[in-house]
Amino acid sequence: MPFPDVKLANRPLHFLYLCDCSGSMAASGKMQALNQAIRQSLPGMAAVARDNPEARVLVRAVRFADHAAWHIESPTPVDQLEWRDLQAGGITAMGEALKLVAAALQTPPMEVRALPPVLVLISDGQPTDDFAAGLEALLRVPWAQKAVRLAIALGHDADLEVLQRFIGTEPATSGRSPRRPLQASNATSLAQYIQWASTAVVGAASMPASRVSETPLEPAAGNIPLPDLPPTVLDPTDDVGPLVW
Amino acid sequence: MSWILPEGASLDFEGLEAPLQIIRGLGGGTQGQVYEVDLEGERLALKWYLPACIARDGGLERRLVASIRATAPNEDFLWPIALLRVSPASRPLIRLRQESFGYLMPLRPPAYVGASEHAAGRLAIGLRQVLRACFGLADAFHALHLAGLCYKDVSLGNLFLEPGGGSILICDNDNVAVDGADHGAVLGTPGFMAPEVLLGQARPGADSDLFSLAVLLFRLLTRHDPLKGQMELAIRCLDEPARRRLCGEDPVFIFDPVDDRNRPDPIEHVAALITWPIYPRPLQALFEQTFCRGMKQPSRRALTGQWKQELARTLDRRALCPACGQENFQASGAPALCWSCASPLPEPITLVLPHGAVLAAPDNELHPHHFDALAGEDLRRPLARVVAHPQDPRRLGLRNLQAAAWSAETPDGRVQPVQPGESCSLAALARIHTPAGPIAVQRPTRPSPAA
Ligand SMILES: Nc1ncnc2c1ncn2[C@@H]1O[C@H](COP(=O)(O)OP(=O)(O)O)[C@@H](O)[C@H]1O
Ligand SMILES: [Mg+2]
Repeated sequence: MPFPDVKLANRPLHFLYLCDCSGSMAASGKMQALNQAIRQSLPGMAAVARDNPEARVLVRAVRFADHAAWHIESPTPVDQLEWRDLQAGGITAMGEALKLVAAALQTPPMEVRALPPVLVLISDGQPTDDFAAGLEALLRVPWAQKAVRLAIALGHDADLEVLQRFIGTEPATSGRSPRRPLQASNATSLAQYIQWASTAVVGAASMPASRVSETPLEPAAGNIPLPDLPPTVLDPTDDVGPLVW
Repeated sequence: MSWILPEGASLDFEGLEAPLQIIRGLGGGTQGQVYEVDLEGERLALKWYLPACIARDGGLERRLVASIRATAPNEDFLWPIALLRVSPASRPLIRLRQESFGYLMPLRPPAYVGASEHAAGRLAIGLRQVLRACFGLADAFHALHLAGLCYKDVSLGNLFLEPGGGSILICDNDNVAVDGADHGAVLGTPGFMAPEVLLGQARPGADSDLFSLAVLLFRLLTRHDPLKGQMELAIRCLDEPARRRLCGEDPVFIFDPVDDRNRPDPIEHVAALITWPIYPRPLQALFEQTFCRGMKQPSRRALTGQWKQELARTLDRRALCPACGQENFQASGAPALCWSCASPLPEPITLVLPHGAVLAAPDNELHPHHFDALAGEDLRRPLARVVAHPQDPRRLGLRNLQAAAWSAETPDGRVQPVQPGESCSLAALARIHTPAGPIAVQRPTRPSPAA
């Protein structure tokens, strides 16, 4: 006889991409690389969601250029997600994007009980609108304060200082850290960071992973201990010469 | 996934005579990546560590070498077989700048699925199989603890189940160490960690394993978390500080007989409310022992031997509801109602054995420990199995799984042999003599309501 068909208690885990779609993203195939990276990351993200029955992983995306708009507006279960390509063109209304996300993280529409949301901001340049006002609006919302906020800087023109303000306080130790903007200088490293955020970080926010003593229970961004960044796996296609932004 | 080892390539490792072919990447976790590999025609699994993991955990290599030398406590562990370092000739094929190493272990057969599939309710599995898996888990930890070792990172993620028969496999054995001796890096997985470990007051060891084991058993048996009740519902954002409060600073068992602050919610936690009453009182009592008095007093937690005994006894009490067919675990004597459809359960035929009693329900088995007081509970080598008659499933028989014949005795004293592989009808018998010992067939004293 089958085990009783009982529903497992779970909580929603909201995952939001904030994607820079300004005109500069059209250069050197950055927009295509971002679309590819997100699309390629979805099966891994779905697998992590399957392995974490305590979490209901729901994905949304905001695009920003001349204005900010929802690219995926309704929170979508990751296994039902189809990624439509983002198009580049316009300026960089990043502040407006933050305001859009701030409104979405109010309760309601946010549930009363949830896991910490994960916000991933991806940009290759400077905001052209009032970033400070957007950030202020965002950080007034309790769910945004609790959120795991990550940022990926595409190429060398990204405004690292702005991205750091989005993430929060910079860690005291030097070196690569998820609490600093992740610098993707080519399509391979972008794909690795997107994959890391959508699998390792989603896993850490939904069901805790094994803890080791040297990654102590210190409060990290959004009060979730962040997993190690992906190792720099040497690209077997290195000799072809990866496109450097 | 960016694989560190090149799929398809053959690599030479120090100490291995033959090259190892990397068949494909199987998955990556927080510590490393796991590959299916071929060594001279044999399929094995290879775990390759990330440099960050090696750097953080100074004792890793030493522990692995000790485990490899000690060999597996029993066959349910995907135990390390050999530590591997790449040869200088193959070094350029490893896509890492830093040095790293890995270990070989048996490959998990495809019939085994991650235990989280059961937790998520996606697995077709019966209560008997779940209880057998729980027994297997208790048995594996019994063997590990008796060897003086501890596991340290018990969690749903490190357990695999074979849903057809309920056998198990335990992976991720690289934190195993002599209890109390080693200061490995791992602390455990929140949600499974003992409160004293979560709060940093103790290092993981055999006592904290007992807590984590009880959590895992509870999650398998109820599809719910032992600490998630009203107190969890009061938390809006379930983040690290909230988990620390819930599981470390003020942990309360949802079925604590005294402290009712954390009772399951009738809507949100319905899984726990439906499944918990299925299990017999003595099994529930072991959870209460571990999660009430044992919550703060690690030495009071139920031991692996107690779990083995009660889980085996629960399987012995298994009976099928004649109305809905659902599996029930009947306390002896007391009339009972089916937990699923509330029909009255008839008093079953009982097989009375020198050590224990087994209810006659299809698939229930007799084992050496039912006959020999010195044999520990073990479900691997059944001596007899209750079977339903192929034409009339209500007629139950007992199949001889031993290598020698039995002699079956009717109430009026007639005797007939039961050859290996044959079954005898329980309705007609009073007693069965087997090489392991006698079986007395006890029929209901009151007529069953169905008759
Ligand atoms: N012996 C094995 N056979 C087959 N698959 C395995 C084996 N060991 C681990 N795996 C798989 O490899 C992946 C990562 O394994 P794991 O050791 O748990 O990583 P980590 O400890 O780094 O989280 C998981 O998907 C797991 O199911
Ligand atoms: Mg693991």
